[in-house]
Amino acid sequence: MSRWVRFILAILLGIIAGLLYGWQFNPVKYVNTTPDSLGVDYKTDYVLMVSEVYTTEADLDLAARRLALLGGASPQESVNQAILFAESHGYTDADVSTMRKLLADLQLYRPAVGDAAP
Amino acid sequence: MRENRGPWYLLTGLLFGAVIGLAYAWLVQPVRYTNTKPASLRPDFKDRYRALIALAYQTNDNLVRAKARLELLEDQDVYRALAEQAQRTLAGGGNVEEARALGALAVALGQAPPTVEPAPQNTGIPASTTAVISATQAITTPISISIEATPSLTITLDTSPNPTSTTIPLVTLLPTFTPLPTRTPTPTPGSPFVLRNQEQLCDPNLEEPLIQVQTIDSAGQPVPAVEVIVNWETGEDHFFTGLKPELGLGYADFSMTPLTNYTLRLANGGQPISGLSAPECEAQGGERYWGTWLLVFEQP
Repeated sequence: MSRWVRFILAILLGIIAGLLYGWQFNPVKYVNTTPDSLGVDYKTDYVLMVSEVYTTEADLDLAARRLALLGGASPQESVNQAILFAESHGYTDADVSTMRKLLADLQLYRPAVGDAAP
Repeated sequence: MRENRGPWYLLTGLLFGAVIGLAYAWLVQPVRYTNTKPASLRPDFKDRYRALIALAYQTNDNLVRAKARLELLEDQDVYRALAEQAQRTLAGGGNVEEARALGALAVALGQAPPTVEPAPQNTGIPASTTAVISATQAITTPISISIEATPSLTITLDTSPNPTSTTIPLVTLLPTFTPLPTRTPTPTPGSPFVLRNQEQLCDPNLEEPLIQVQTIDSAGQPVPAVEVIVNWETGEDHFFTGLKPELGLGYADFSMTPLTNYTLRLANGGQPISGLSAPECEAQGGERYWGTWLLVFEQP
């Protein structure tokens, strides 16, 4: 085997070792994530909490700002996704209904000019 | 004449390859976590999540659900995390309702009876606990592991292009609850506290003059979550006992401004204590410093 072939093989071996180390043994760690990266089940529970709190606070602005943390196209979209997930994963009717109430109110919601996400 | 350079070129190649591999793995195509858990949230987002849990608990009064949600944050000491956040919220002039909710949840957790709670029908969170680990970029065999727990346990190991799926009937997948010790008895509802002791303390280790309040029940046990109201000429403040658990569940304190007169009362009634101002103390060397008032309220 020529010296060049062995050199190339050594490089390939090094690449494999580097990938193995970077992906398997010491991957990039995300410790300060934001709520928009949460799994869909956690996002759904977050929406459920916002909906539960909304039933007593009745503050649509505050609910919308809380939902804005989840990213998404709009608060309505976030709640809608949560309802779809909840319905397909056996959430209780009461929980789904709580989220539906928030969704219904959000559909009539027009944020005041100058409102910003927290 | 052939030059003998030895096998060093192999090591050079290996290092060169490793650098390329690491650069690719860390910079070009790092592992992406798209389905993160609340435990990995940034601390300020964790605080918001925790506050929302507490506010939701005030609405639904469902302690099992609140506990399950708090477990997602993986705090080492849930009770302390709640109490400290309540303190921070109050100290930072934050939402009093939020602080009250955090304190109430901390107290509720502290008073949870040491019995195993029934398995929740659906706590909202684990209705489906889905964990997806994805490493689908560039690697030749994408791996996707999905675990679902309702109503049966489904484990899917997807090594495209031939995914396999196994469904196992859910026989026992009930959450295990660690019973919490009972920390305090519940205060007798409706019984106002009476002032049992008012004492001036001189402690040179305290950095500022304080009004320290302790609330105890008839058995001498500390009573948490008692709202204390302090008035002075230009303002008013509310705080709660039990938010500094390291100092006792019936303990609360308030920082006085020297030369200001304060009146203190408990929100559930009882006599107001007026004329409280920072007392002057003298150290052994003649140095003067501000002292502290200790007020002990007892529930008859």
